Amino acid sequence: MTISMAAITDQLMLKQALSSALEKVINKALELNVNDNSALKTLEAKQLTLLLDELGFPLTFTVSSNQVLVTNLTDSDCTVITSINTLKKLKASQQLTDYIKQDLLDIQGDLKIAQQYLNLAENLEIDWQNELAHYIGDIPTYQLSRVAHFAQTKLHFAKTQIQADLSEWLVHEKKLIVSASELNDFNGQVTQTVARFDKLQQRLEKLTKHINEG
Amino acid sequence: MSSVEQKPQQPNNDNITHFGYKTVDKSEKESMVASVFHSVAKQYDIMNDLMSFGIHRLWKRFTIDASGVRPGNKVLDLAGGTGDLTAKFSKLVGKDGQVILADINSSMLNVGRDKLRDKGLVQNIEYVQANAEYLPFEENTFDIITIAFGLRNVTDKDKALRSMYSVLKPGGRLLVLEFSKPEHELLNKAYDFYSFNILPKMGELVAKDGDSYQYLAESIRMHPDQETLKEMMNNAGFEQTSYHNLTGGVVALHKGYKF
Ligand SMILES: C[S@@+](CC[C@H](N)C(=O)[O-])C[C@H]1O[C@@H](n2cnc3c(N)ncnc32)[C@H](O)[C@@H]1O
Repeated sequence: MTISMAAITDQLMLKQALSSALEKVINKALELNVNDNSALKTLEAKQLTLLLDELGFPLTFTVSSNQVLVTNLTDSDCTVITSINTLKKLKASQQLTDYIKQDLLDIQGDLKIAQQYLNLAENLEIDWQNELAHYIGDIPTYQLSRVAHFAQTKLHFAKTQIQADLSEWLVHEKKLIVSASELNDFNGQVTQTVARFDKLQQRLEKLTKHINEG
Repeated sequence: MSSVEQKPQQPNNDNITHFGYKTVDKSEKESMVASVFHSVAKQYDIMNDLMSFGIHRLWKRFTIDASGVRPGNKVLDLAGGTGDLTAKFSKLVGKDGQVILADINSSMLNVGRDKLRDKGLVQNIEYVQANAEYLPFEENTFDIITIAFGLRNVTDKDKALRSMYSVLKPGGRLLVLEFSKPEHELLNKAYDFYSFNILPKMGELVAKDGDSYQYLAESIRMHPDQETLKEMMNNAGFEQTSYHNLTGGVVALHKGYKF
């Protein structure tokens, strides 16, 4: 007897296990959010379906009483068809239309709902330092502070190094024929990388400070 | 110890039926089932998690996903007991929809009502004490009917299926989630061992009620297999009937439409 992959997935209820896990993670994140979750109110009873290329089955989010329910129901007010990669890059809600133009993303139904869900995701900020402090005692905190300090120094060094390498690369490689848009793109990426390093560094500084104070 | 070899034949007298492996008068079964569920009501949720290793939650999620429920729908969660499906449906149908949790047993309904109220689920749920064989609703009322782990306890299953058909709206669907027949012999044997040796002991230890869990194991074996239940649904008038085996056929989800 041959059993198809889809039948095995069904039998083991892998989709349901994934939705269940996602539901727990999302609601935990909402609970720990340091910003207020007022965006949830506007989303009450609104459904968003995500069809991700990599998954091949829908993930549908429904907000009910300030909690998010995840199911594999197919029908909803707004369906977003995209890939995990695009989803990871998706930041500001204005980008939605850019991605649609670039064929990286397709939306069926009410675009506003997709934007509201995106706003909700963007608004999530968890104070990991504080959460961590609940779970670990004095000695691990001290050790972690040292590790964090070490990592911070290393990261700072790496950042300076990358910036230096990149400027050198730009000076030398500019002579090659590169289109203006490619160059713009690249510059954008450099700025983004530097910004990410800065953010990471700030977080580490905060963590070290927090740990030292605690 | 009971074993599968001792499984009795289907009764051929119209007035008798099964209560687990026992043959009883049809008029008696209802009250015997009632006493089982009065007895297990308080421990029901804990035992469900323990006995199924928590997998019943995924079986129920699968049922919700297959229901195609939409905001505004009217749903009947029949033999709904402590209301696991009702809780999810209530969130999905929203304030414009409605969920009716119907069960024959007042103890199960009470535990269900308390649990759902504690979760803050009040606005769109109604509780109705009713027998699946005689549903007290108008014809063509519901978009969706679910009966999870309930049908095998019903005395006259054909009558109950006809009653469900009648109260379902045209275009509506029925979902029957129930223990069934494992597809592979090895799994069948392991499952038998678990059901008849471990399950009643767990029932005895945790719920202090080995007999009820012995009934549970026996009633599962006496329940019609996948194809038989599908045929029964066809006979009751359902169309496009199909089923999905879950966990190797330990459980099956049957689906049928009324057009
Ligand atoms: C095993 S419990 C299932 C509860 C719930 N649906 C779940 O999945 O957790 C079976 C339920 O069926 C109910 N029941 C048994 N016979 C019934 C009947 N004839 N009509 C309606 N409900 C019935 C019992 O009272 C009990 O609550």
